[in-house]
Amino acid sequence: MPARSFQARLLYLIIIVLVLLEAGTLAAVRFAGRQAMERTVVDEVNTGARVFDRILQMRAGTLADQSRVLVSDFAFKNTIALADVDTVTSALDNHGRRVGANAVLLIDLDGTVRADTLRGRYKKKPFPFQTLFRDADSRSADASATVLFESQPYQFVIVPVLAPRPIAYIAAGFAIDERVLADVARVSSLDVSIWSTPPRGRLANTDYASLIHPVRTGDGSRINALLQRSLVEARKPFVALERQVFALSALVLIIAVFAAVLFARTVSSPLRILAAGAGRIGRGEYVEPVVVKREDELGQLAGAFNSMQSAIAAREEQIMFQATHDSLTGLPNRKLFLDRLSQAIAAASRTRGVAGMVMMDVDRFKEINDTLGHQFGDQLLIEIGRRLTQTFPNGTVARLGGDEFAVLFHDARDVTERVAAAFEEPVVLGDVSIDVNASLGLASFPEHADDAGTMLRRADVAMYDAKRNQSGVAVYEPGRDEHSVRRLSLMTDLRQAIARDELELYYQPKVDVRSERVMHAEALVRWNHAVHGVMRPDEFIPLAEQSGRISLITRWVIRKAIAQCATWREDGLDLTIAVNLSALDLFDSELPTFISGLLSEAGLAPEKLLLEITESAIMKDAAYAQKVLRELKRRGVCLAIDDFGTGYSSLAHLKRLPVDELKIDKSFVQNLSATASDDLVIVRSTIELGHNMGLTVIAEGVENAEAWRILKDLGCDMAQGYFMSPPLPAKKFREWVSSRVSSVTMIGGGRSWPKATTPGRKKRRSRKRTKPRSSGLDDGGPRVRRPTLILSAPCQFSPATTSAISDAARSRCCSHMGSGATRTCGASSLPTSRTTTASSSSTTSVPANPSCPRTTNSVTRPSTDTRTTSSTSSTSSTCAT
Amino acid sequence: MVRVLLVFLVAMPLLGATITVRVNDARGRAVSDAVVYAVPEGRQLPLAKKTAVMDQRNRMFIPHVLPVQTGTAVQFPNTDDVRHHVYSFSPAKTFQLPLYKGTPANPEVFDRAGVATLGCNIHDQMSAFIVVVDTPYFAKTVNGVAEIDVDAGRYTVRVWYPDMRAEPQPRSIALTANERLSLTFVAGRANARP
Repeated sequence: MPARSFQARLLYLIIIVLVLLEAGTLAAVRFAGRQAMERTVVDEVNTGARVFDRILQMRAGTLADQSRVLVSDFAFKNTIALADVDTVTSALDNHGRRVGANAVLLIDLDGTVRADTLRGRYKKKPFPFQTLFRDADSRSADASATVLFESQPYQFVIVPVLAPRPIAYIAAGFAIDERVLADVARVSSLDVSIWSTPPRGRLANTDYASLIHPVRTGDGSRINALLQRSLVEARKPFVALERQVFALSALVLIIAVFAAVLFARTVSSPLRILAAGAGRIGRGEYVEPVVVKREDELGQLAGAFNSMQSAIAAREEQIMFQATHDSLTGLPNRKLFLDRLSQAIAAASRTRGVAGMVMMDVDRFKEINDTLGHQFGDQLLIEIGRRLTQTFPNGTVARLGGDEFAVLFHDARDVTERVAAAFEEPVVLGDVSIDVNASLGLASFPEHADDAGTMLRRADVAMYDAKRNQSGVAVYEPGRDEHSVRRLSLMTDLRQAIARDELELYYQPKVDVRSERVMHAEALVRWNHAVHGVMRPDEFIPLAEQSGRISLITRWVIRKAIAQCATWREDGLDLTIAVNLSALDLFDSELPTFISGLLSEAGLAPEKLLLEITESAIMKDAAYAQKVLRELKRRGVCLAIDDFGTGYSSLAHLKRLPVDELKIDKSFVQNLSATASDDLVIVRSTIELGHNMGLTVIAEGVENAEAWRILKDLGCDMAQGYFMSPPLPAKKFREWVSSRVSSVTMIGGGRSWPKATTPGRKKRRSRKRTKPRSSGLDDGGPRVRRPTLILSAPCQFSPATTSAISDAARSRCCSHMGSGATRTCGASSLPTSRTTTASSSSTTSVPANPSCPRTTNSVTRPSTDTRTTSSTSSTSSTCAT
Repeated sequence: MVRVLLVFLVAMPLLGATITVRVNDARGRAVSDAVVYAVPEGRQLPLAKKTAVMDQRNRMFIPHVLPVQTGTAVQFPNTDDVRHHVYSFSPAKTFQLPLYKGTPANPEVFDRAGVATLGCNIHDQMSAFIVVVDTPYFAKTVNGVAEIDVDAGRYTVRVWYPDMRAEPQPRSIALTANERLSLTFVAGRANARP
């Protein structure tokens, strides 16, 4: 039994209470008994003292009576009166013996002893106890007193000898001897002794209750009686009583302890069973029920325990399932997937086998969600999960979150093919048929990663590569993961870029086609990174946008550009300065005021500043953008639409925009030739469109003389590109302009532009050559291609589906026009149903799509570096509606 | 008694002197049954051949105090119907009349001056005094006053009473014929010894 158990405590409690109770009873009995005993003893002793007195008194009376009778004897009187002393003495002796007197004296009336029985020792001497004698003499009657006679306590009785008048007195002395004391002891049950001298000190023996009782004496002597009561004797009955009570208490205690043990056992043993049951439940064992066969509360409690146990088991199962599974699809979640992946890796490392995973991301899922509703998106995810599960009945298929799925495999062969096969058939939900495209990233052990977390990350990187390459599938390339890490560190460095003065502006001229005069200078930002060297905007502007620092950079660029413009002006170079705005800048309501302040500060007319905004940025939130643009326009700032032809804007929108200039996207210009009919048509019609709307039209990406010539023929107003000049630092730009002014004006194809070189440019360009243009930011620098996409389809509405699509969505739907050369993942069109095409490189029909790499990445775009344009980029189409 | 009176009456005209004695106690109260007597100085008087009676009646001695002249014979008649045992252990006269009835044949002669205390051995409460004086001139006070007729001459006047503790100072007086003299004795405390 544990020391602190209920049973033990109950036992202790009962024992303590009982012991206290019984101790109290015993103490009370003892106390009361002792008190009563002491009172009794004191009473007895006091009574004994009275008895002693009384006995002496009675004895004195008896002795007096006897003596009186004695002296009444006529013969005795006669003897006393007439006989000689010897006779008298013998008579005294004789009669004294009759009454048992120890001493008899005959006293004359004058108090002198005439005769005595003590060999005449007192003869002719005054009677020793004159007071007593006078007492008797004064009354002619008898008197008695206790006196000390010959050092012994005596009772003396004096009686007159009457004839009939007193003729003498007889004094009879009776020793207070042991017989007397025995009488007292017998009557009073006390031990009695008598002293003639007072005892000194205290009576040491505490076994007796003692009383020193002074005896009243007739001669002033001190006689004390010691009356003693044996306490041992007096205590005897109480001790017996105490013993009985004690025995009774012990008996009660034993019985109570037995009862308590029995009771505690009946309570504590089921409690122990219950506790053990609770312990099992706590450990997560739910199989064994708690068995307490009782009808009382404890039995009910056991029943409640069992109910609780099964309920907890059920709930735990449910919670466990929820914790490890995705609630929507019922598939394992990321956590469970990682567990299984870890197990698989562990198993593979033991068996020298392979464990790998495919990560899959549904392309443009957000667009589907936004366009067709979340419910539809959810249904789609469920269907995707179902298909994957069907395809890999023995593998682990998990939903990692959002539109990301993962498949665990042990054999890399055919994995991607099987995934692709699963989505060959379009998903039909209700009356909507949708072609599901996905980007797959593959990583495996031991080749790419040796732990689950790393493998997951690397599969993710591979997946994004696939998306970027529009390849549909990518296997992890060693080193790619580290690139992502670099991005993260760049984001940190960007914070300090402005403070460390690491940003620099380059300028690229915009030349009037007809007059060949430099009209504008477009400011393009470079980051001279301490470690990574010169970085182009498309490398860090997206990071700035993500980290919220874009407005700082924009403002820095505008300030620098205006200052440069003012400097040139003072130097005699009167140019309009062009600055790119990020989509996010359009939400900066303070920007117009900021710009006005800078302009007036620099003393520049507002029209000397041209702000270029990409078409897609404007379309992101057309209404709000319009508001900001109007505000800028109101202040006299010139506005241009950048990358025109890639942003799916409608003419209606265009019409409402307060812009002055239209810049044709370089993708249409770079390969412009008389034979490339598509681009030619687009460029021509755009120029016409712009002119018809009263806008200045500029083409960027002019890389050769042929393009220049064609543009001139088409009536384009301005041109920008490497054909004229790459972006140059301010000083070199100034030199370039000066040299150009001094050189002969060249017209037509024979035109040669002054050469200005940008160091390191060639190498970079060649490395990035395969990248298609996708970012609005690129200025000819490296181009990062965002993932490819999955949903593609022409924009055909069937009457049946019309109602499912909002007017807005419909209005933005455009037909697929490009060949989709980059669409390697089977982004085929489906004539039977409406699908949205979101080929990354160009034709997209869902505007305001934040997930679209193009729109999110566009910012301060130094755009016109046409020489870096990828040859693989597909052609694009304008939106029609 | 009658004969005593006769004696006095005969002598009075001849001598003609009277002593009036008053006996008071210390508080001035009259003491009765006190015996006053005058002893002639300088002359020896012959013993009286007189008799006196101490009667015993109703378990009492009557009279309680009986003054007699030395030599007087006293009769102890028992007029009760119970017997008495009259005794005296007094030095003046020690005698016993064991259990008797009637009048004993011989009277007891009190020939020594002094007081004989009488008792009855049967009845402790019975007590009487016979005061034996050496003079014929004595008297017993009645209401504290006694008169003694004496001849002219010198006398010592003394007093005795029952329970006398100490005898008051005797008085020596001289009387002429027909002289009347008054004396007052103050008795001592009541509990005087006999």
